Amino acid sequence: MVDGECSSITAPLRRLNVAGWVFALGLLVLAEGAVRLFDLSDSVAAPSAAAGALVEATADGSLSGEAATTLGTYAQGLVLAIAIGLALGVAIGSSRTLEDASSILVEFLRPIPAVALVPLAIFWFGSGPPTTRFLVAYAAAWPILVHTAYGVRGVDRMLYDVAATSGVEGAARVVRVSLPAALPSIVTGIRISAALGLVVCVTAEYFVGSQGIGDYLNDQRVAYRLPELYAAAILTGLLGLVIDALLRNGERRVVFWAGEEQARRR
Amino acid sequence: MSLTRLRGTLLGVLVFAAALAVWDVWPRGEWAAFYFPGVDHIGRTAWDVWPSSDFLRAVGASLTRLALGYTLGSLAGIAVGLAMGASSRARSTLGPTTEFLRAVPVIAVLPIAIVLLGDGDAMRVGIIAFGVFFPVLVAAVGGVRAVPPEIRDTAALFRLGGVERAVRVYLPSALPAIFAGLRTALSIGLVLVVISEFTGRGDGLGVAIWNWQSVSAVPEMYAGILFLGLLGYVLNVLFLVLERRVLAWHYGAIGERTR
Repeated sequence: MVDGECSSITAPLRRLNVAGWVFALGLLVLAEGAVRLFDLSDSVAAPSAAAGALVEATADGSLSGEAATTLGTYAQGLVLAIAIGLALGVAIGSSRTLEDASSILVEFLRPIPAVALVPLAIFWFGSGPPTTRFLVAYAAAWPILVHTAYGVRGVDRMLYDVAATSGVEGAARVVRVSLPAALPSIVTGIRISAALGLVVCVTAEYFVGSQGIGDYLNDQRVAYRLPELYAAAILTGLLGLVIDALLRNGERRVVFWAGEEQARRR
Repeated sequence: MSLTRLRGTLLGVLVFAAALAVWDVWPRGEWAAFYFPGVDHIGRTAWDVWPSSDFLRAVGASLTRLALGYTLGSLAGIAVGLAMGASSRARSTLGPTTEFLRAVPVIAVLPIAIVLLGDGDAMRVGIIAFGVFFPVLVAAVGGVRAVPPEIRDTAALFRLGGVERAVRVYLPSALPAIFAGLRTALSIGLVLVVISEFTGRGDGLGVAIWNWQSVSAVPEMYAGILFLGLLGYVLNVLFLVLERRVLAWHYGAIGERTR
């Protein structure tokens, strides 16, 4: 930004959305007042108590350790999902026969929500991180698969002809033509999967009940430690926001040319 | 053209049947047979379980909760969405709060709701409504903001008041977008019914599946989860039928424009 534009003091304030933050702050103050005035701390945590618990449980490692576990399991599941989703998506997207062959199987499996598989997955993989990892991978693979197949199917045939004249065929064509051309769609699929994956991860942990933020949430409820419970919920929301921001930023950087391309085609 | 389509569908059916056959005849020992019952075993169990009165009552309880929570959440989402879409002041005031709440996974709200409302119907309906609210809200805000300026100007010209303008002008105009949000919200709602029932008390499809898990009734679990998938599919089809009826005028208008 040009320096001169910042000369006005009110400019950043106007961008800051004062009304929005005042409203959020007002809600918090109101909640704090209500909890103290009517002595509601048995059923809800006061914002100050939750904030204190958030700072403390993050500093002493009890909550931050669980968060690290969650992020680890989540990342492993997501990597698995990307590998599986990309491989199957490329295969289904580049072959009409494979697409037809898999269609009914895919339509049968896809509507089954991953979290409904929690009880079965506990049977298959036990009550530990492997179950969570499997569920994240299963849930997150679908959007990547669908978006990859869609992107690969939409690749301009001319690109293949050009590649053929340069002797690029087979596996090399997939890596050098199909994947780059389908990248905008693939990246969108990964972003959707990443958001979904985090939700599935915490949900699975909650019910599998061995490790991670999800398990921490359930433990705090059972132990009736409300400030810690609210702190964990807030941290989960913050994680979601940070991951979403990172992915949007990443998407913009990786496929910076996609907008241009679309604009040119129009 | 239609012949290749037919061949494609046939191929899909064949592969699906082959997958079932492989699942069924895959050699397995006693241990694996317990975790992965054969197709015929799951099928027979589903045949017995699905029409049983206990199961139907559970499904009925779940659907009632879904209907209540979905209606509450959708109406709230549409109302707040109309306000936020129509007024930039409402949008900036409620923006940060809704953005944060939207980012909190429902599973983090579940234990808070259990403490507040108990492990019963109120909590479950509340959780469903909470989860349904945000996709509908986002869709409604987007739909209202996309209302063409000439329609806005016309509404202003007739000096319609805020509420009348929202209900009679913005709502119909944003309805196609709202329906897209409602459809997403429906599948989210179904998942949330089950999640909120996994906590185990009372009746419901999720309770049933969870209880089968705790007594190691594996084929019953498969049957329950399959039913859930089927239910999601049927609800989606019903929704599309309803959407086509409600939005018939909209599709008509689009058709005329492209013609």
